Amino acid sequence: MSRTISVEELTRVEGHGGIEVVLSRKKVKSVKFQIFEGPRFFEHLIKGVHYEKIPDITRRICAICTASHSLASIGAIENAFRVQATPQTRLLRDLLIHGETIESHALHVFMLALPDFLGYPDAISMASEHLDAVKMALHLKKVGNMIHTALSGREVHGMNERVGGFSRVPSEAQLKKVMNELLEVIPVTELAVKLLASVELPQYGDSENLLMAIDSGPRFGYMGDHVLTSKGERVPESKYLSLTNEKVVGHSYAKFSRYGGGPFMVGALPRMVLSGSKMDGDAGELYKQHRGLIKAGNSLSNNLCQALELVHDVQRAVNDIDELLSMGLRHEEPVEYEVFEARGVNAIEAPRGLLYHDYSFDGEGRVVKANIITPTAQNAANIEKDARVIAGNLATEDDAAIKKAIEVMVRAYDPCISCSVHLTRVK
Amino acid sequence: MARPRVGIFGLTGCGGDQLQILNMEDELLDLVARLNIVDFQEGSSRKEEGPLDIAFVEGTVSTEKDLHHLRDIRERAIILVALGNCATDGGVQAMRNEETTLEERMKEVYGAKVTITEALEPRPLEAYVKVDHSIPGCPVEKDEVLRGITSLLHGDSPPRYTYPVCVECKLLEYPCLILEENKPCLGPVIRAGCKARCPGLGLDCIGCRGPIEGGVNYAAELKMLLNKGYTREYIMNRLKVFSGKLPEDLTEGAR
Repeated sequence: MSRTISVEELTRVEGHGGIEVVLSRKKVKSVKFQIFEGPRFFEHLIKGVHYEKIPDITRRICAICTASHSLASIGAIENAFRVQATPQTRLLRDLLIHGETIESHALHVFMLALPDFLGYPDAISMASEHLDAVKMALHLKKVGNMIHTALSGREVHGMNERVGGFSRVPSEAQLKKVMNELLEVIPVTELAVKLLASVELPQYGDSENLLMAIDSGPRFGYMGDHVLTSKGERVPESKYLSLTNEKVVGHSYAKFSRYGGGPFMVGALPRMVLSGSKMDGDAGELYKQHRGLIKAGNSLSNNLCQALELVHDVQRAVNDIDELLSMGLRHEEPVEYEVFEARGVNAIEAPRGLLYHDYSFDGEGRVVKANIITPTAQNAANIEKDARVIAGNLATEDDAAIKKAIEVMVRAYDPCISCSVHLTRVK
Repeated sequence: MARPRVGIFGLTGCGGDQLQILNMEDELLDLVARLNIVDFQEGSSRKEEGPLDIAFVEGTVSTEKDLHHLRDIRERAIILVALGNCATDGGVQAMRNEETTLEERMKEVYGAKVTITEALEPRPLEAYVKVDHSIPGCPVEKDEVLRGITSLLHGDSPPRYTYPVCVECKLLEYPCLILEENKPCLGPVIRAGCKARCPGLGLDCIGCRGPIEGGVNYAAELKMLLNKGYTREYIMNRLKVFSGKLPEDLTEGAR
């Protein structure tokens, strides 16, 4: 006798996906993470488009990680044309990526994931009994969006960050305003850690995870040019294809990534396991206190790692603004550069994990070939692995219990299904 | 309308218009008090079937599943509002609709062996169902959504923009990027409502709100940018980014 358990539509995630598990005599026969989101063919769309407009198009792959896409896109273009951004630009970009992570993690931790652990269908229903927490979370999210708006031009699909720099450098007054708000939300980030640390995580999904995250250098962060793996490797971003062999599967429009023939994980948990010890200040202290709760083999601990990152993000944003203000903001134009036939690759940590953009240009700066690999496409095979373990361990339970456990696991990854449907390689 | 039953749905897209609703951090709690939101996949696990007073739909129809979903929503909803550029015009995923077939794109990306039959050419909602109101933009502007909802609650229509970005740009006294900086700005043919965000940052309008409602003089825009030294191919590529459609007065006469 076999039974099929399917979560037809995952909720509180971005995009449309489901998951189906077939059990036969208490053994898992098959697992499919299905992605219903339609194909959008971005790599095909941008073929022939002039490099200058590429980030405006590719950032529209995803709303919640729009700046990650635009910065990865700009980074790949700058690597191709050997553009050296100024120290001020690099700091502003660091601030922007931290702002995006604040907005995204605040939304996910408080409004999408926490209701699972406290037993509500959504944050709005949660507000009836935890109004203060929900209001504080909205405030935190808003501060992330303020950074976005000040630097990028609006909350979703901004425009101000460009190849070579920023079209308009924000004013000191704008940054000071953001700074004041940041200082107010520090307690909210600490509350996030407290809430998530108090949740006792089920262990029915525990299994080995191969982890990957960016090497952010001496400080914890989301930018760098090498990728670290939990096997102790350090791979240059330009060699990313050796890490992410993509495979077409019949049940989804997202290609699935594999490394060494097996699944791997990207996101907050891998970042924390591979680089968490680099965090400093209050974030570093909280990391030390909670290190024991972060289990590389329990994907559900991803949410606690996101909460720890929130503490880091706010702290880092404050530091970045401090540094910008003490340097004195200069109204620099984007730097100048030559365009030639070239290829460029860039890796960045989007809130959900490693993101790669790779473009080849003709002599006029038009795209001839492109490849974009998103975090959720990389996590898809690992999500199937976890679902298989959960269903196997809960095989004697009823369908509803298995379904719920799988849904909570998938949501812990904070999947961005719109993103995952990226459809690769223009030949 | 007293606390209408509302559904917020997403077809194929980036989810950014739904996200803009969640981005109304200051108004969200008051807003949800005025609406009975019975289905909002991106924000809640609550899901009720049955009739809807208002349905907001973002994204394009890009799969058979999207189409089935949209038809079901249309049957259930008294008022259907297309939310954002994908739903109103086709969005960035439609930009190559007139150049390559879906089969060609599929083959290029997935290889010849894969047959995924459920995909459809990306189309805006009105290609399949009657749309009652549109809120444009990539993404939608938060204040426009808020005013749109307020209007609907009072039995009125959401605001419409029958004038170009240039009007707002001039009211804000920004320098003209075409005349003064030779930039390929699409402001003259794109509908207002964004308060000229891009020109305000010194960037030419890329057209994310779609063409002005009513007549648009594309030929004049083309001529102006040709005179500034841009190639026809470059200008056409830009005009297509947010809908994939080339305006008729360019495909026919202006050559």
